Amino acid sequence: MTKFMFRYVKFVDAINYRIGRTAMYGIFVLAGVLLWSSVSKTFFDPSLWTLEMAQFGMVAYYILGGPYSIQMGSNVRMDLLYGSWSPRKKMWFDSFTVFFLMFYLGVMLYGAIDSTAYSFKYNERSPTAWRPYLWPIKSIMCFGIFLMLLQCVSELMKDILHLRGEEI
Amino acid sequence: MPYEFIALFMFATMMLMMLTGQRVFGAIGFVAVVTALTLWGTGGSDIPFSAAMKLMKWYPLLTLPMFIFMGYILSESKIADDLYKMFHVWMGPLNGGLAIGTILLMVLVSAMNGLSVAGMAIGATIALPELLRRGYDKVMVTGVIQAGSSLGILVPPSVVLVLYAMIARQPVGQLWLAGIVPGLMMATLFIIYIVIRCRMNPDLGPALSEEERNVPLATKLKLLRAGLLPFGIFAAMMVPFVNGWTSLVESSAIGAMSAFMVAVVKGRMTKIVFENSVRQTLLISCMFMWIILAALGFGAVFDGVGAVKAIDTLFTEQLGLSPWTILILMQLSFIIMGTFLDDTAMLVIVAPLYVPLVGALGFDLIWYGVLYTITTQIAYMTPPFGYNLFLMRAMAPPEIGLVDIYRSIIPFVLIMMAALALVMIFPSIALGLPEYVYGK
Repeated sequence: MTKFMFRYVKFVDAINYRIGRTAMYGIFVLAGVLLWSSVSKTFFDPSLWTLEMAQFGMVAYYILGGPYSIQMGSNVRMDLLYGSWSPRKKMWFDSFTVFFLMFYLGVMLYGAIDSTAYSFKYNERSPTAWRPYLWPIKSIMCFGIFLMLLQCVSELMKDILHLRGEEI
Repeated sequence: MPYEFIALFMFATMMLMMLTGQRVFGAIGFVAVVTALTLWGTGGSDIPFSAAMKLMKWYPLLTLPMFIFMGYILSESKIADDLYKMFHVWMGPLNGGLAIGTILLMVLVSAMNGLSVAGMAIGATIALPELLRRGYDKVMVTGVIQAGSSLGILVPPSVVLVLYAMIARQPVGQLWLAGIVPGLMMATLFIIYIVIRCRMNPDLGPALSEEERNVPLATKLKLLRAGLLPFGIFAAMMVPFVNGWTSLVESSAIGAMSAFMVAVVKGRMTKIVFENSVRQTLLISCMFMWIILAALGFGAVFDGVGAVKAIDTLFTEQLGLSPWTILILMQLSFIIMGTFLDDTAMLVIVAPLYVPLVGALGFDLIWYGVLYTITTQIAYMTPPFGYNLFLMRAMAPPEIGLVDIYRSIIPFVLIMMAALALVMIFPSIALGLPEYVYGK
């Protein structure tokens, strides 16, 4: 079991690290799309696709970057009590409360899959002039939320391993 | 079950969940999901995901990563160094002049980014050591930097006002215009305070020594050029926007990329600077976005049970309070909450409850946006839990202790409360400019 947990943590952390590091450069894609939008608007005909493309980019940016931000511990916590606890106590609490987070993400994933299936079935398009299909971005969201869940499990395993006195 | 009770229950549970120290977005999201599932069964299960879709369609939110990126470029690449030197040389001969210069520096930095972090970083790493070396009182200068950097969220472009606009469903452009005059007014109040303090007690901020003052006029004028940088970036962003060539979001991308280009041209975009600013932008954006995502879900449930109407009726009809009493009570409770709640969390928790209530009471939501931001500023700075306080402790040199930091903010918090009261009494301080520009 311990061996499996080690492997899992290593595997998931590595995947989410790579995906997060890739998403990180998405800021330049976003800026590029928006700059093109301003240029085309000022000098030629405005592009139809830029606004929504930027929105899709933004969603992919934060959903796929989410697991990496959890890895780096940059999600704020309320540290009124938490801040003064010992590392062991923090890990004990996290090992239980992370299930709340996982429950939330689970329900979100359920809704996401439901909505994506709908988009596939009816070829749902966005009601704008460009009329892009919605299934690609929704699939990315499902994937990202799923990765978030995997990362939460990895965090839980890290806490358990630490509490057992294993070195990671 | 009465709605007041559900609303109260949701808030109490959320507070409790957050006390466990779990990630804030998890705590908010969990309460939203559980309430939705309890009230509406499986029909409630699509709430968190539809919040994500709602978030996607909200166009101005795209400014958020851009302004965060801009802020990190500014603070990491230190392209604002010259700016400090400029104020240093020009304001140095006055008593307390460097402190005044620091406030002015903060105003310019605020005009180039939307969070207080950049101002804080520039203040603590560039200005603070210089001020201390010249014998400025450490308690005063610590306060100056914290107060000055908090202007970042009031002077446009402001990320906090973008978030507020999302929750209050108000136009971002008008909110930003509304923030300008109160922001400048607050900066002026800070400067007046520094001048008076240093008049009464020159030891707090000694003027520069004779030889240091002896800077040739040519050098002095050359340094003025540094001031072109913020104006250039600000103009690159604002001119196309004000002329209607680009939207706000496109302008934010122009701003971010021009800051990036300036750093490249000045040779400050090293590998480390690049890595840090790009990574921090992702991490901070993710932190914000996931919290907003959870808060939107929470807000949807809250709306769904009609909680706001219930609370409104409770206050106005059952308790018989006047709208103004309620408003003042709200601001007070906001400040008190700000002292012990994490600020980012507070921002997204308080707004969905307070903003609709303010609207229901018949107040102007643009005006309230300014009040809301000033209150957040105060909350940023008040112990025991203030974002700025922690940042200050992390960045300040070791001779500045936590007690110094706590003491330093007292006068500035009082000034900010005075500014808050002024904007409350004279709404035109905030509303004058947007009304003038949009010709309402």
